[in-house]
Amino acid sequence: MSDFVFATAQYESGDWDSAPLVPANIIDTIARYTSIDVAPSGVIVPLSSPQLFRYPLVYLTGHLPVRFGPSERANLQRYAERGGLLFVDDHNHDIDGVFHKTATEELTRTYGPIKPLGKSHSLYKSFFKFDDGPPTTSHELNGWGDNLVHQTLSGVERDGRLVLLYSSKDYSSEWNYHPENKRFLSVDNTKFAVNIVVYALTR
Amino acid sequence: MPSRAERRRIGEWVLRAALLVTLGVALWRSMQPPIASRAGRAIAASAFERDLAQLVASSAVKSVDLSADALPSRAERDALTALRRNEVAVRWNGTPPSLAVEATRAREPEARARLHVTGAVQPTALVDSAGLLDSVRAGPGATVEAASIVGAVRAEQGKFAASAYAPVQEPRRAVLVLGRADWETKFVMQALSEAGWNVRARIPAAPNVDVHDDLILPLDTARYDVVVALDSSAADMATAIARFVAEGGGLVAAGGALEIDQLGRLAPARAGDRRPGRILLADDSVTTRDLPLRPLSLARSDAVSLQREQPGITLAARRAGLGRVLAIGYDESWRWRMLGGTSGLAAHRQWWSNAAGSVAPAREAAPRSSGDAAPLASLISSLGPPSSPVKSSSERSRDSLPIILLIIASACLLAEIASRRFRGAR
Repeated sequence: MSDFVFATAQYESGDWDSAPLVPANIIDTIARYTSIDVAPSGVIVPLSSPQLFRYPLVYLTGHLPVRFGPSERANLQRYAERGGLLFVDDHNHDIDGVFHKTATEELTRTYGPIKPLGKSHSLYKSFFKFDDGPPTTSHELNGWGDNLVHQTLSGVERDGRLVLLYSSKDYSSEWNYHPENKRFLSVDNTKFAVNIVVYALTR
Repeated sequence: MPSRAERRRIGEWVLRAALLVTLGVALWRSMQPPIASRAGRAIAASAFERDLAQLVASSAVKSVDLSADALPSRAERDALTALRRNEVAVRWNGTPPSLAVEATRAREPEARARLHVTGAVQPTALVDSAGLLDSVRAGPGATVEAASIVGAVRAEQGKFAASAYAPVQEPRRAVLVLGRADWETKFVMQALSEAGWNVRARIPAAPNVDVHDDLILPLDTARYDVVVALDSSAADMATAIARFVAEGGGLVAAGGALEIDQLGRLAPARAGDRRPGRILLADDSVTTRDLPLRPLSLARSDAVSLQREQPGITLAARRAGLGRVLAIGYDESWRWRMLGGTSGLAAHRQWWSNAAGSVAPAREAAPRSSGDAAPLASLISSLGPPSSPVKSSSERSRDSLPIILLIIASACLLAEIASRRFRGAR
């Protein structure tokens, strides 16, 4: 039995390392709430590398334009075919932003059409219950980015399972703090990350 | 009183007359139709259908010699057996091939029919009612898979053929996967689901928190075919699993599940210490040889080792109660799927479906007919072993007549020539 390893995608364009504290924070959350055996530190995995297939859940974020190279695109297609889940979060929280526009274009080219996930999707109840859909981030409420509260996440499913989860809610900003600071929060805002990880491990 | 020379001349005329008579007899016999024996009949299996009515109708036939230039059908064998019971001596001769065919189905949702052929000493065609399925080259035995079969399957080798019907496929029941929230559990579920199994699961994700399908209990053979226990999280269901297996259900146990007391008592093998998988280079593809492994050691005298890798046994099975138990030594088989190159995904899926199918209870409906799966064995069973070709007395005398006539004619001719020469005539 192997530990769950949180993997961050490194891609050739853009700033793939814009949220460096997210992995530690999510690892802390997984260890805190679940009995999942989780590796104490995350890894960075290039999208064009065969190493990608060692990590069936990969997190990708950034602010800058995203362009996948041919080997990255081919690797992601094989990754989806074999059951891997790519979680992409727009660190700009801006649907007019360059990350959103380029990433959705690239992801559509790689995965096919991206569709909104209904609020009853099993992702929202895979561990914690989120009856109103994806939790709102403070960045949405503060009016940063596009000044919108995005009601849904979107994604691509194959055989009833998500192979791509796309978020415009900027969880990367929301979760990009040192886990030590979690004690100052009245509500732990990383709980939704547990749902994503448990969903990936059980569906 | 004739002189000596006159007596010799008369004798020469007698010899000439005898020679002409002999040649006349030979000519006459050569123009006669074959002598049909009233008491014995020699027939060829390929023409048996034509002669059957006459054989059955004639009470004068006392023996039948069948030449096996083809294999008689089940009905023809039955007719010969009936003749034998009516005091007709029935023998057969020939060396037909020991051709046999069996059609089975794997106990999997999208199971292809498996055709097992033996005795194909020459190239053999496998056909069903819709046409050619495949061909088998010479060899002691072969297995061919076919997606679908229409009617009976026939293994044909010239005039010789064996036939069989595949069991009728029935819907499989669900598989219950028990395992912790990790990649192995996820990808075992995914592989089984992709292979067509109805997969239900219970996956503990935190103390007192399970991710599970609704109404997974009760665990019985009316709802499930197989339980897949991947680790020790199945411990609280061990009693129910043991009862399920005793009633005919299948159990696939791997890793920590083999260490659960009640499951360990059912299991064919114990898992040893974990051995890490091969360290992979950048572009390496994973096969089963490269996976982390807990080598199995057989724990029961009735356990059977099914698969082996370099460090030891990786698959073992046994029957327990009415059910079957399969122990798996591989750890983290998901790496085979994700890192197994172009074939890993399909191979992993097929392997897990086969594993579940190998312990699933039989639910196939029996075929409408058993066909004629091993016609030579059936022929020997009905009529006994082959005998040498038997000829009737009239045939024997008919066969020797030309030689006798030749000897007589030669003797007459030589005597006549010798007589003439000795008396100085030309």
